Amino acid sequence: MLQGTSDISTIKHEVLYEVAKHAFRGDLDQTEDQIPFDLIPGPQANFRCCVYKEREIIRQRIRLAKGNSPSVNKDNKNIVQVIPSACEGCPITRFVVTDNCQKCMGKKCQNACNFQAISMLRDRAYIDPAKCKECGKCSQACPYNAIADLMRPCKRSCPVDAISMDENSLVVINEERCINCGSCIKDCPFGAISDRSFIVDVINLIQSGAPVYAMVAPAIEGQFGPQVTIGTLAQALKELGFTGMYEVSIGADLVAASEAEEWTEAYKEGKKMTTSCCPAFVNMIKKHFPSLLDNMSTTVSPMAATAKLVKAMHPGAITVFIGPCIAKKNEILDNITQGTADYVLTFDELRAMFQAKDINPATFGEHMQQGSIYAKNFAVAGGVTAAVVQAMEEKGIDTEKINVMGCNGAAECKKALMMLKVNKLPADFIEGMSCVGGCVNGPGSILTGRVAQQNRAKQLASADQREIYENIKNYEQYPVEMHRK
Amino acid sequence: MVITICIGSSCHLKGSREIIQILERLITLHNLKNKVELNGSFCMGQCMKGVCVKLDGELFSLQPSTTEQFFKDEVLRRLA
Repeated sequence: MLQGTSDISTIKHEVLYEVAKHAFRGDLDQTEDQIPFDLIPGPQANFRCCVYKEREIIRQRIRLAKGNSPSVNKDNKNIVQVIPSACEGCPITRFVVTDNCQKCMGKKCQNACNFQAISMLRDRAYIDPAKCKECGKCSQACPYNAIADLMRPCKRSCPVDAISMDENSLVVINEERCINCGSCIKDCPFGAISDRSFIVDVINLIQSGAPVYAMVAPAIEGQFGPQVTIGTLAQALKELGFTGMYEVSIGADLVAASEAEEWTEAYKEGKKMTTSCCPAFVNMIKKHFPSLLDNMSTTVSPMAATAKLVKAMHPGAITVFIGPCIAKKNEILDNITQGTADYVLTFDELRAMFQAKDINPATFGEHMQQGSIYAKNFAVAGGVTAAVVQAMEEKGIDTEKINVMGCNGAAECKKALMMLKVNKLPADFIEGMSCVGGCVNGPGSILTGRVAQQNRAKQLASADQREIYENIKNYEQYPVEMHRK
Repeated sequence: MVITICIGSSCHLKGSREIIQILERLITLHNLKNKVELNGSFCMGQCMKGVCVKLDGELFSLQPSTTEQFFKDEVLRRLA
């Protein structure tokens, strides 16, 4: 049951938990109509105008948890979806005159407006929303900074201008432009945007007895608290029904080695190159800078490399990537012919699965390390570059002159790609990370910020200092094609 | 032309991955890599009809054994 104090992440999580619980029991089809009433018993509404709206939001979230579009009969394939019943249509007009207005005699705002939208009231200027075209000239003209720019949070959040409003002011995502980065999911204060889930599919496959392998992203360390290490997770995941667990940092070691070769070659030729491990960054290039596709590394992502390795080790394995990322769900749909992971879950979805089976990962314990510390740091902005440089140095290549632009967040990525497009990029390489700070701040995380950092630092301190090539030697008997077809 | 194959759990167990491989092989064989794109999709909600495959908005119900016929009858015909 949800409480009045529940926030957006709790609501999302509770729905995932209920769906996972019933999927494990095998009675989801029979009980899903009951879940909205279990979570919102009424008669008093907690968050919205009435219990009927609240239950409709839960219904739409259940559809998302099952991988469907939130609205019935809507056929679209984007991962990031608007939950129409949850969108408040933020009735804010974009430019608003604040208390700072002195009702001065200069009237620069009025003169700057080309649409006669500004008049003078008794105390201050007034912008008529019906006439305002949101050009922003008045705001720039005001000598007192008195006109505030209140962009809707979803729209402000989107790095690729994929968000607009329909005639009822409800948010609409332009799927041709959307890179599925998940930024709007994090930033909508009403939780009206969320992502589709493979959670039911993965549970069904586990229950079918098929060999399902978990592959955990390098960002996982610290996500489940200070006690839950790679070793404890491996055991907890087996308890959950997975056949085994691998660290995606093995794939990251392979990627670092492969990109080191590519960079060395490109540097010799004077060709500029970008990384290819962040799927939202890859989508940004594909959809918004297609002329730069040739500059993108052809190395597959660490997820794909790990999936290929697991499939080579265990023929017939179903591979499930578990990470903080939403764009990864899109990566597997777009690359079904590349032999990449079969399914993607977020950390939050995994947490719901643990709770559904009443498993506390902290109660297990054993040390385990599969990836190098360099690979584990793929999850942090700058980490990919550091690992590639390390791999080059292990091969005796002088890396001193190599200049890499580390793009921390989608806005920086976009800026660097624009410069590369017009041949004005000062650096030789671009490391693209769509989430500020790297994957550790991904929209599918459980913990972010200081607590997560402290947990993570503590766990990484116990990792050994094995080198990248030393580590991948352990897997060389398995053929893994490291480049895209 | 885009062929969308459902990768939901039900279709997975009925052989969606195998169908993807068969289609990929046929596409390469007929040299259609630039004309036909294969895409995955979440559950299409028609699990009884699985494996669900969509072509030009039309839903087809395939099995690995009927995939080659589908490719000849639908894909090649539409491209011809």
